[in-house]
Amino acid sequence: MNQKLSITKTGNFRTLQEKWTNQRVVDLLVRNSLLIVILIVMVYFATQNERFASFGNLRAVLIAAAPFALIALGQTIVILTGGIDLSVGSVVAMGAMSAAWLSIRLPPEQLWLAIVIAVILGTLAGIINGLVIAYLDVPPFVATLGMLTGASGIAYVIGGGAPINGLPAEFAVIANTKIFGLQFPVYLMIGSFIIMALIMKYSAFGLRVYAIGGNRVAAEVAGVNAKRTLVQVYAISGSLAGVSGVVLASRVGSGPPSLGVGYELLAIAAVVIGGASLMGGRGTVWGTFLGLIIIQTLGNGLDIMIVPSYWQSVINGVVIVSAVAVDVWANRRRSR
Amino acid sequence: MKKWNKRGLLATASVATLILAGCATAAEDTTDTATGSTDTATQCTDLRVGVTPYGMSSFIAQGQEGMEAFAAANDIELLWTSAENDIATQASQMETFINQGVDAIIIAPVGAETLGPQLQAAADAGIPVIAVNTTLANDALITSSVLPDDVAAGAQEMQQMADHLGGKGNIVILQGPLGSSPELDRTEGINSVLANYPDIKVLAIETANWSRVESANLMANWLTSFAGQIDGVVSENDDMALGAIQAMKEAGVSPLLPVVGVDGIEDGLRAIEAGEMIGSSLQHGRVQLAAGLAVAQKVVCGEMVEKYYVYTMPPINAGNVASYLGNVVSDTDAFLARLPELIAKNLETGNIANED
Repeated sequence: MNQKLSITKTGNFRTLQEKWTNQRVVDLLVRNSLLIVILIVMVYFATQNERFASFGNLRAVLIAAAPFALIALGQTIVILTGGIDLSVGSVVAMGAMSAAWLSIRLPPEQLWLAIVIAVILGTLAGIINGLVIAYLDVPPFVATLGMLTGASGIAYVIGGGAPINGLPAEFAVIANTKIFGLQFPVYLMIGSFIIMALIMKYSAFGLRVYAIGGNRVAAEVAGVNAKRTLVQVYAISGSLAGVSGVVLASRVGSGPPSLGVGYELLAIAAVVIGGASLMGGRGTVWGTFLGLIIIQTLGNGLDIMIVPSYWQSVINGVVIVSAVAVDVWANRRRSR
Repeated sequence: MKKWNKRGLLATASVATLILAGCATAAEDTTDTATGSTDTATQCTDLRVGVTPYGMSSFIAQGQEGMEAFAAANDIELLWTSAENDIATQASQMETFINQGVDAIIIAPVGAETLGPQLQAAADAGIPVIAVNTTLANDALITSSVLPDDVAAGAQEMQQMADHLGGKGNIVILQGPLGSSPELDRTEGINSVLANYPDIKVLAIETANWSRVESANLMANWLTSFAGQIDGVVSENDDMALGAIQAMKEAGVSPLLPVVGVDGIEDGLRAIEAGEMIGSSLQHGRVQLAAGLAVAQKVVCGEMVEKYYVYTMPPINAGNVASYLGNVVSDTDAFLARLPELIAKNLETGNIANED
């Protein structure tokens, strides 16, 4: 009798322990599913072409990612509030065109002014978005859709409908200065990610953003000034888009008004692949970083394997939907 | 988004058309007498010519300068509009011109399958329509046209590269937006020349959508795929050629691989001057569009014109780039001053793209 009991006890204990460790491993795998997918993709590409894993290729991926990273960062905090910013692609074009327009008119020692004004214009676009959304209660989708059209129009107006050519070499220096073999925009991207991650994790502003996205009414009852925070969030998104435009124009030494078309969708894709909820309140800067890395790595690897661009679009579409599907499944599993 | 935009414009366009229709009935008498007087006297002074290009690209902006120079020298009044890449806008602009009773209409159509009813209306009103730069699939009602030969441009750039490589080597090709007419034609031209060079191997052919940024990213990835194997880059426009050069500089490729483009934009010409591009083919808006206006003038004055004038893009290389840089960029005033005479001469000889 006593013996029997002890056996069942130990038996129970063992199965419990086994269950517990299995659960933990599965949880760990599920929680880091995106990271695992990225690793699998990278290993696959590396086996297909040994130069995929070279420093030169890493450099190519990073410089291509930098302008997207900036707008994806802005998009992250916008989506965390439960909003969306469709205007970033057009604001990129406006930033690039205004910087290009100024750069061919300003003396070399005042080129910094071209950058500052481009970023201010981007910030202004963001502030207008924020004001319209926060104070006029226009849905973010509609407000930023209007800005998408408006800012694109301004980009065309600046160049008289044509691209701006013949930018001075001094302007190209911004994006083409190399530090330890990597171009300046790459450091800008990494720095922005770190700063934004810290802000969202430790600052009161970050807390407010999550609170508004989680439950705006509750946040306001708790004393959060939701309207002001929303304006700040869209202003940050706009200014980052302005910086992105300057970086792009400087890199290739040209201001095409058609620049940035569709970038907003890529940025939104990076954010949702990274596990953010379009309903707001859930998501991280780290997740967006992973989402961005997977999009850029896929593009780079598929180019290297000479996969036709139409097929690349198909693959990208599948990745976006399956990443989000896995995320939704993992969340349901966790809450069960 | 694009759809929404178009729908919005369509709505405004239809409203505009209604208003115009109202105005037209009111102004019918004046329009009639205006066209009537031109018909009876067949006078060809003080012409009014409506122009509706697809949008304001840098090419069209150049073309406007050329047309205005020709118009000033020939007492032509230009009614300049832009369709902003919208079919409905272009249609209503044509209707406006017809209602105004202009002497001729010059169009660069937004799309190849458009403007059927407007062309019919122009024909009914006896207004000649001249297509420049782009045309319609069904051009039966188009009086005359001045169009670039994109097949020849593709063949020309491939020939420039083949000559540079001595008929042997590995190339990559950057295409325009897949399925667009310049992409199809330039690719056809490239392939026609490639057929003569079995020792030139195409490592990769892909679109970068005319964009410098896209081309820089794509070329960077190709430099990884084919490290050390690429001997030359054939790009269907100058912007993508410049993007490829940017990628080579970023990756530290030295010396730069030979690159050839098409269009002869300012930055492209400067790259040829600096020895970073081996060549391009000039598509000069001032010359091409002014020729269209000259053809319109001839038609109105009752002179015989051909149905098709072909603008064959002149090849640009290190040897001749200096003079073209003057015409296109640095000394445009002098070029515009002699443009009217040049255009008249070109229509005589049939060598539309000549700039000497």
